[in-house]
Amino acid sequence: MERRKFIQSMFTASAVAMVTIPTGVLAEEAKKAPKKGPNDMSFDEAVKAITSGKEVKESDKIKLSVPEIAENGAVVPVKVNVDSPMEEGNYVKAIHVLNKGNGNARCADIMLTPANAEGYFATRVKLSKTQDVVALVELSDGTFIQTAKSVKVTIGGCG
Amino acid sequence: MADKRKSMVKIKPKKYKVGDIVKVDFIVIHPMDTGMSKDKKTGKIKPAHYIDSLTFSFDGKPFTTMKVWESVSTNPYFSVKYKVTGKGKITVDYTDNQGEKNSKSKKLKPKG
Repeated sequence: MERRKFIQSMFTASAVAMVTIPTGVLAEEAKKAPKKGPNDMSFDEAVKAITSGKEVKESDKIKLSVPEIAENGAVVPVKVNVDSPMEEGNYVKAIHVLNKGNGNARCADIMLTPANAEGYFATRVKLSKTQDVVALVELSDGTFIQTAKSVKVTIGGCG
Repeated sequence: MADKRKSMVKIKPKKYKVGDIVKVDFIVIHPMDTGMSKDKKTGKIKPAHYIDSLTFSFDGKPFTTMKVWESVSTNPYFSVKYKVTGKGKITVDYTDNQGEKNSKSKKLKPKG
């Protein structure tokens, strides 16, 4: 009788182990799935950090040039043109290039001065998937305006 | 360790006068690793290595500063505009997150 019990318990134990281990591994993988970068930040957090809670208006003053379809997500050209005078006391203070789908929502912050003479910035960014690219502009009077454009990415450029 | 990276400052267009607005392009050969990709040979995750700040200055006076994160592409390119005020030197200083510091400069020679 004892031997039977012992064997039974062995079976159940092994069965339990069989069931639990794979699910445990799966759960761990699911946790790992969104890979964490060193300085990850969501889009809303990034906007909050920049504006410190101020209102952001949608504006057509900003001309954001991005390709509609990017075949290679590793190299997506981004060009920002702000239609604003650049004089002492009335100029574009900063251009923030943000994305909505990467781990880290921030791409670049550019602090301009009147010496630039034009609110212009161009660079190339990496996009992990199809998502929106956002140009958030701070004017010298402390107001914020933004424009967003979506980019279709065929092959992701991160990781 | 810190070997000089290849970098370039370009002024566009090539001919310009005092008062013209020129494009100042800066290109540098840099891996811009995100800290998430694997090395294909060793299979180990490469540590993050990206440029995090740049300063554009004219004769020592900074006119544009940038903060940059790893979302910018490999071998990055940055372009801003600048109004030419006279002869001088445009210098771009940049640092990356591993503490490498470099700079590159280009003379401004307006004609007329």
